[in-house]
Amino acid sequence: MQALPPPPPAITAPAPDRSEATTGELRVAAALTDAQVRVDSSFTGASIVLYGAVFNPTDEPADVVVVVRGPDAPIRLVKKTRTSGVWLNSRPVLFEGAPGFYMTASTRPLSDIADFGQLRRLGVGVDHLRIDAPEESRTVTRYGVRDVVVSRLGDDYLDWRRAVIRLKEAAALYDTDSRGVEFVDRGLFRAEVELPTVAPTGKYYAEVWLFQNGEPQSVSNLTLTVEKVGLERDIYEFAHRRPWLYGVLCVVLAALTGYGASRIFSRRS
Amino acid sequence: MDIYLPIAEVSVNWPTLVILGAVVGFVSGLFGIGGGFLMAPILVFLGIPPTVAVASQASHVVASSTSGVIRYAGAGAVDFKMGSVMAAGGAVGALAGVELFRYLRLLGQADLVVAVSYLVFLGAIGVLMLNESLTEILRRRRGLPAPHKQRRRPMWLYGLPLKMKFPKSGLYISALPPFGLGVFAGVLSAIMGVGGGFILVPAMLYILRMRAGAVVGTSLFQIIITTAITTILQAGRNQTVDIVLSTILLLGGVVGAQVGARFAGRFRAEELRAALGLIVLLVGIQMGLDLFVRPNDIFMIAPGIAD
Repeated sequence: MQALPPPPPAITAPAPDRSEATTGELRVAAALTDAQVRVDSSFTGASIVLYGAVFNPTDEPADVVVVVRGPDAPIRLVKKTRTSGVWLNSRPVLFEGAPGFYMTASTRPLSDIADFGQLRRLGVGVDHLRIDAPEESRTVTRYGVRDVVVSRLGDDYLDWRRAVIRLKEAAALYDTDSRGVEFVDRGLFRAEVELPTVAPTGKYYAEVWLFQNGEPQSVSNLTLTVEKVGLERDIYEFAHRRPWLYGVLCVVLAALTGYGASRIFSRRS
Repeated sequence: MDIYLPIAEVSVNWPTLVILGAVVGFVSGLFGIGGGFLMAPILVFLGIPPTVAVASQASHVVASSTSGVIRYAGAGAVDFKMGSVMAAGGAVGALAGVELFRYLRLLGQADLVVAVSYLVFLGAIGVLMLNESLTEILRRRRGLPAPHKQRRRPMWLYGLPLKMKFPKSGLYISALPPFGLGVFAGVLSAIMGVGGGFILVPAMLYILRMRAGAVVGTSLFQIIITTAITTILQAGRNQTVDIVLSTILLLGGVVGAQVGARFAGRFRAEELRAALGLIVLLVGIQMGLDLFVRPNDIFMIAPGIAD
């Protein structure tokens, strides 16, 4: 891998094609329009533009792949099975860690850019995403409830894994856009990162890969934070730090509203 | 017009929520019930996680019941002694119910138990109410006289210890049956997010044979205490109460409840019961359908990772 990309201002003016400094060096530099997403009461998801430049002194075309990954969290899945006419839930299966958000955007379909092994090694693409499950099937007891942990080697691992991805895609948390990276000008590209309302808060990592002839040539790493701000954050923290007081406050508020309404209405009649 | 709910972590259209609160409040004022059984399914339909919906709307029930109790107390129609005995049971039931709900969530079976409870309880009560009120409406249409009402209480009510006098209800019975009813309502309140009025009212009328005038006011009083405890427990144990959501709901709710209570006087009691029975039955069937219809995706993310 190469040295760190230059700071963003250097990118806004695209470098001349064969400048002295970049000759012979194939690399990518990128930045985000907004490195901090604020979740407040009007939050309905966010759209962030990732833009960057490719310095390509060679004549071979290069492909850009953008990968954005949200904070990891365990996932519990249940499978519904039909037992005597009624759909019942199986015992939950625990995946120990899967990204809360994952998207790829690229100039071409990923399978055309690099081969299976390469993508798998880099963990690029929803199919190559690491969803942690232990090597062996075991059952763990947590909080008095037995969770089954599926084995990576088991027959049904793929079904469960596909289900995780399908459900996350349905919630717009996982996305693959094989035309998501657009070149706006020679060497200058942009991609959009769409965060849905349900996107988890925390630190996000963006990787911008530059591939040539199926080989990764350069990568640029960026971070993005999604955090609750203002009243939203105060309420959330209050509810988690002082849960009992918070509960009492909710009840008092409700009772007062009910009382107030009946006073107002009885005076009117 | 969308607002982000900090605990539910979704954004919803707030005018929709105000209208929903008002409509459910209207129904609750009209029929003298909490209205929780109607609210929870609609909130889930709007995309709010079921656990948050159940816990947050309990405070809506607190608000509409408070304004109801104030109105009934003014008319001297609340038996506070009976209500307190039932509320004590409700507290025990709520404690047990919140723990049970927590355990079911970890087991991944919470939604199943909620669906079954709705189907069984709402279905049964809905059928009973419809049947009873339709018979009465038909009888009146035909001009038949009302049959002599059986006022005998089940004998076992007298055999139990801990007898207490409940002058307002016209009862001298053991405190255990009302306490037991309270426990039951408390468990339901935690699991289904309902006040339990739709079960308590018939039970107080037909099992305890309380004086009819005091039934609704007393059940509302018991509901306030039980749902208040449930809300505090849900907030304390599960952190699933969304104060923004519940506040929006109650703004519409309290107004709707007052308007509904005004309309209540315009209808005959059995017509109201028939309408309520129909609503209860439909909600029960709707919730229970999930058990029998092939799901879109047989895999589902189980909520509630506890840490």
